[in-house]
Amino acid sequence: MKSLLSGNEAIARGAYECGVTFASAYPGTPSTEITQELSRYDGVYAEWAPNEKVALEVAVGAALAGAKAMAVMKHVGVNVAADPLFTVSYTGTNGGLVIVTADDPSMHSSQNEQDNRNYAKFAKIPMLEPSDSDEARRFIKIAFEISQSFDTPVFLRTTTRVSHSKSVAELETPVSPDTKLKITKNPSKYVMVPAKARERRVVVEKRIDALRNFSESFGENKVEIRSTKFGIITAGMPFNYAKEAFPEFSFLKLGMVWPLPEKLIRDFASRIETLYVVEELDPFFEDQIKAMGIHVTGKKIFPYTNEFDPGIIEKSIRGPSRERKIFHVPDLPARPPNLCPGCPHRGLFYVLGKLKAFVTGDIGCYTLSFMKPLEGLDSCICMGASIGMAHGMSKALKEEGRGKIVGVIGDSTFIHSGITGLLNMAYNRSDAVIVICDNRTTAMTGMQDHPGTGRTLQGAAAAELDLQALAHALGIDNVRVINPFDIKTSRNIIKEELKREGPSLVISRAPCALLKSNSAKGQPLEVILDACTGCKSCLGLGCPAISWKLLEDIPEVVKKKSGKQEGAAFIDTTLCNGCTLCQQLCKAQAIKKVKNHV
Amino acid sequence: MASNQLVKDPFNVIITGVGGQGNVMASRILSNMLVQKGYFVTIGETFGASQRGGSVMSHIRISSHSTWSPQVPKGRAHIVVTLEPIEAIRVLANYGNEEVKVLTNTRPIYPAGVIAGESAYPAIEEIEATLKKLSHGVWLIDATEEAVKLGNPILGNIIMIGALSALGDLPVNRDDFNAVIRRTLPGDKVADNLKAFDMGAALLKN
Repeated sequence: MKSLLSGNEAIARGAYECGVTFASAYPGTPSTEITQELSRYDGVYAEWAPNEKVALEVAVGAALAGAKAMAVMKHVGVNVAADPLFTVSYTGTNGGLVIVTADDPSMHSSQNEQDNRNYAKFAKIPMLEPSDSDEARRFIKIAFEISQSFDTPVFLRTTTRVSHSKSVAELETPVSPDTKLKITKNPSKYVMVPAKARERRVVVEKRIDALRNFSESFGENKVEIRSTKFGIITAGMPFNYAKEAFPEFSFLKLGMVWPLPEKLIRDFASRIETLYVVEELDPFFEDQIKAMGIHVTGKKIFPYTNEFDPGIIEKSIRGPSRERKIFHVPDLPARPPNLCPGCPHRGLFYVLGKLKAFVTGDIGCYTLSFMKPLEGLDSCICMGASIGMAHGMSKALKEEGRGKIVGVIGDSTFIHSGITGLLNMAYNRSDAVIVICDNRTTAMTGMQDHPGTGRTLQGAAAAELDLQALAHALGIDNVRVINPFDIKTSRNIIKEELKREGPSLVISRAPCALLKSNSAKGQPLEVILDACTGCKSCLGLGCPAISWKLLEDIPEVVKKKSGKQEGAAFIDTTLCNGCTLCQQLCKAQAIKKVKNHV
Repeated sequence: MASNQLVKDPFNVIITGVGGQGNVMASRILSNMLVQKGYFVTIGETFGASQRGGSVMSHIRISSHSTWSPQVPKGRAHIVVTLEPIEAIRVLANYGNEEVKVLTNTRPIYPAGVIAGESAYPAIEEIEATLKKLSHGVWLIDATEEAVKLGNPILGNIIMIGALSALGDLPVNRDDFNAVIRRTLPGDKVADNLKAFDMGAALLKN
């Protein structure tokens, strides 16, 4: 049977087909749907872990018990999981262990563009990379076969284009999972004290040699000879682009991107006059192939940055003369992503933007509030960094910094990697104010539950983390809860906490506007034209539902409230969900609930 | 394998709009209409941060004989369907050519910079003139307006699919839509979606 599947759906399907029973993950674009999809299959246990390090450790434990287990994460998640990663490479896995890393060339939804193929070489773990959905489905199965035959963790790398593109995949009958799991003690293999780690270190090098041999005859390293003049060595999604641009060339498509099959590459190179290496991001293949003494052209002509498309490859090889006709279009207003209408972050960041504070930010929807008009956030590095950075700034500035440093972090992000930062603030005592934007979900990646929501991945009731009690237990004495839809009270409380000596925590709590369970959606509001003075206060919220029109563009005759009035505000009632922030800012009381709205 | 030859193979459709308008849904419905007829379809899309009111774009590549990469090469779109008018211009700047046809919803969604009064949103007449200059033909569809009349602005995406089907360049019709929508949506939503599809077809023909 065939089905139109995304790469992520196909990975979940393949995992199910080969008897994977266990998965742990932290949501992260473009990897999130893999675990969600997998959790829906019979006989599979899948969970959201608080972060990728925990997810990998959980999967290592499940594999040690003999299960086929997966840990799923986005590229930067592997940084978080790197500590267990490098040593599970030494211990091996007993059962099957596959780590899915979903990389994001072009940074569609990420803070950096790191090429995680480097982790394969660095941690000495083999890596497969599919180029479409059907390969994604097949390669996850092969990854488990390799894991079990070589007693090694295996990486499956995707990129955003593989994860989120949909193409037709075969569906096969699943095998029954191995149910005979048991505890096996083997301290020489699993207790990595120096003496034992030194022994395993040697095993790792032997395993790599064996994997190199395996890669030479691996069926997914495919050679297609068409031309003896031009050839391309590539892998993953760029294979499709290169093939579309140069169907007449010869290809070596690598299904296993590390370790590389040196003999196969030498053989291919010996049959081709001019050889290109087509790879997004780092010259990962190119450096290794050049080190074999083979002449190839790579990053000299292809870009280091961003994802490719067929045109980029064509232009890089043929030169700019083949460039298409450029259409000249008028300047358009940019459309960066924005906080949704009714978003609880808007009120909080409106308040923060008006304070003369430095706001260290974090990873989540709220990062968007660095933009105009809110301008309520001044830094973003990685998950959890806001708290450490706020503490560091406060300590470095001493008295100068008092009342001027705020760190903001989302609820899910706080649980991911903010707790230790907050503990450090309590322990080493600084004056910053930390705000947890608690919107009761992992919003950015599409509404995943976490320990703070009291629901599991499957939606079952779970222990609900009590943020206030946690903060107290860490040693934070000043903990306040605010409703970010109440601008005045929120502003007063944050100001009070900024004046206070020592660390404070403010929990800004209101559910995400997109949460299905959010029943707080109110009646939409409208602007009473005859009352609007055109002061533009409401526009300072940057709400997508509010716009501005010049008086001459308004069909109705509008009574001018002052000689200076140039226009009036409008609310799109199909977008507004009645959060009332604009109403609170309107000094002319020109914003009212829409009458008789159904 | 699909029996009908396509006007172009691969046939490249781009559906664009603003995150939250049902762009992804529209591309999946259209693609499934084609897959059930035996065509090879690849959808390329990005979602994540861009969901939050940013520009979003799905590339749909249709072939009667093989699978294509999920990105339309620059300058090679055949039809651009847009749920927000200036997004059509943005897409044509990269993917336009003399032969491309454009179906656009007329309801603007103002970007943050426009709301803040820092940049201006072009008048719809201006948008239409630019689109005409950059394409083979432009169809303006009041999709959001009609969807609101049907009771839900989100149906604007289905109205656009109805209009696209009525254009006749792709081998899809109301029966294909009916089959897909019955498979993908709960039963009580089918009637409204069919109404929206028919509305789109009617708007195109006017």
